[in-house]
Amino acid sequence: RSFFLPPEKHLVLLRDGRTLIGFLRSIDQFANLVLHQTVERIHVGKKYGDIPRGIFVVRGENVVLLGEIDLEKESDTPLQQVSIEEILEEQRVEQQTRLEAEKLKVQALKDRGLSLPRADTLDEY
Amino acid sequence: MEGVGQPAKMKCLEGPHLKQGPAKSCVSLAPEKELVSASQLEEEEENEEGEDDLDPDPDLAPDPEEEEEEEDEKDLGDPAVLSAVHNTQRGGLSSPGIKIPDVLGMSPTSLHFLWQTLDYLSPVLFRPKFPSANSPACHFGHQLLLPDPSLFCSLPTSWPPKFSLPSHLTQLHPQHQRLLQLQQHSRMQSPPAKKPWSQQPDPYANLMTRKEKDWVIKVQMVQLQSENPRLDDYYYQKYYQKLEKKQADDELLGRKNKVESLKLVTPYIQKAEAYESVVRIEGSLGQVAVSTCFSPRRAIDAVPHGTQEQEAGAASSQRLQVLHHIEKMFLQLLEIEEGQKDGPPEPCYSEQQSNQVEKLFLALKTQEQNNLEEAADGFLQVLSVRKGKALVARMLPFLPQNQAVSLLLAITHHLPLLVRRDVTDQALQMLFKPLDRCISHLTFHELLQGLQGLTLLAPGSSERPVTVVLQNQFGISLLYALLSHGEQLVSLDSSLEKSNSDYTTWTDMVVLIAWEIAQMPTASLAEPLTFPSNLLPLFCHHVDKQLVQQLEARMELAWIY
Repeated sequence: RSFFLPPEKHLVLLRDGRTLIGFLRSIDQFANLVLHQTVERIHVGKKYGDIPRGIFVVRGENVVLLGEIDLEKESDTPLQQVSIEEILEEQRVEQQTRLEAEKLKVQALKDRGLSLPRADTLDEY
Repeated sequence: MEGVGQPAKMKCLEGPHLKQGPAKSCVSLAPEKELVSASQLEEEEENEEGEDDLDPDPDLAPDPEEEEEEEDEKDLGDPAVLSAVHNTQRGGLSSPGIKIPDVLGMSPTSLHFLWQTLDYLSPVLFRPKFPSANSPACHFGHQLLLPDPSLFCSLPTSWPPKFSLPSHLTQLHPQHQRLLQLQQHSRMQSPPAKKPWSQQPDPYANLMTRKEKDWVIKVQMVQLQSENPRLDDYYYQKYYQKLEKKQADDELLGRKNKVESLKLVTPYIQKAEAYESVVRIEGSLGQVAVSTCFSPRRAIDAVPHGTQEQEAGAASSQRLQVLHHIEKMFLQLLEIEEGQKDGPPEPCYSEQQSNQVEKLFLALKTQEQNNLEEAADGFLQVLSVRKGKALVARMLPFLPQNQAVSLLLAITHHLPLLVRRDVTDQALQMLFKPLDRCISHLTFHELLQGLQGLTLLAPGSSERPVTVVLQNQFGISLLYALLSHGEQLVSLDSSLEKSNSDYTTWTDMVVLIAWEIAQMPTASLAEPLTFPSNLLPLFCHHVDKQLVQQLEARMELAWIY
């Protein structure tokens, strides 16, 4: 009989907050990555959903961190996997509540004559 | 080739060609012709691969000519195999005469595949169970091994390649290396037991060759090399030092001594000569962005325009100035500490260090203010910030006594203010230890000066500073330390009792403080960091018995709380 070690799965966190899980096939010195059989995992609360994405080529500057997934511990999670539709809906709801809270905050600050820098430009500081 | 040639340590490194014992399996014994032929195949395939950017690894084994001489050896040591494989990548082999034997019954492509995966020599993780690997010849054509190239593949798990880092390229802390080894060992030992291994080969494994991976690692490691890792890579070094220390402590406690500590490997590769940060091409305007391994995406230097924003009176800007100032002083302090290297901070011995310390002290004390008042104010502002307190605390051991005393006196004179400003940080405590040391070297006169600041009534306030001080842990500790030192001085040098004015001042102050302590409700008395043993005797000398009893009750109770 012959045995093969299953290939390692990796988890990549991108700067835009996305989480990708796949098999890392290639890298270079800029941390550009080639991910195979990638799945985008969305987490909302205790639920998560996987969207299959195929092959990803990620530009190095967008990578925040990369880690190896312990295949044994992978199934050992308190999180609950749900369907894609469900998780997208959950995400939408979460986004909406966040935006509303943000709006209130911005309004309150505006009333006091202050303003927050825009979140998308914060990254550059 | 340290990384690869560690079969002894790696239990699973059972690549057939690496095993030397009786359990040799087919491939290795295949007369070296096999190797060569297969490599030639590979050479054809891989010639188009870009190896131009790679230097031939200096510690790889011999060049092609030698390799062919070794052909006749039965026993293939690692280097020979390595060279076989790697030489192909260099396209170095020239043995056109050797054909691929048909004997194997294997197509050239599968052989090639076989060798491609063998490329990945180090952590070889497969465990081929060769039932009858003993009689090599008969297994030729045995469907067990060779025709099944999948046996040798599926080796992506050295990602990141843990063991295979060529030693001359890496500069990992020995503790780090040990950890990686342990991880790898445990990984190799557990999977067979727990996880069912897959039956299918992973066709996408090893898309990157060993060499490519090594190259990327090399690029990254070169960037890490530095003359002064303690400075450049502080957190990494400190973390592993701490880990090492912890392990050493554990070993002392009883765990067996597992490994001797290794020396840190010095870099083999010379760092590239200083690259030009700005490349000017003749006749062109402006700069060109040159991509190097240090700065793959270098931006063109923008000329900074320093605009001085004068915002007089803005509270935030002043605070920013103070913070900025603290940062500058901290850099100076770090330099001094670095110069001190290991060992407790002492007032410095070298002239250069003395100069540095002097500069730092001046920076702290004067802060470019001409007015003494403002200077003191500046100092207090520094002390109002947590980082400023840390700065002063770390700086004090380096200062000569007179300078330390001046700082101490400034602190005692403004103690209530400092205490008030410390409400959020609660960080004054860190100053206690260095100040205590300074106090123990005070002269009597200086001591009195310090205490006077505490006992004199501030203008416009009905409360003595002492009252506030007693309610704060740092304050009371400092006060007790001062009193204790005073008592020690007096008891050691009886001549002090004769100098009337000073001694009277002393006794007055002691009495006053005693009275204040007695007045204070016990619950408000803060708990001191240390409780000097000669305080009660001191009070006994100067106040009446009743008061002493009250004091005793209060101080001890407060202490117990």
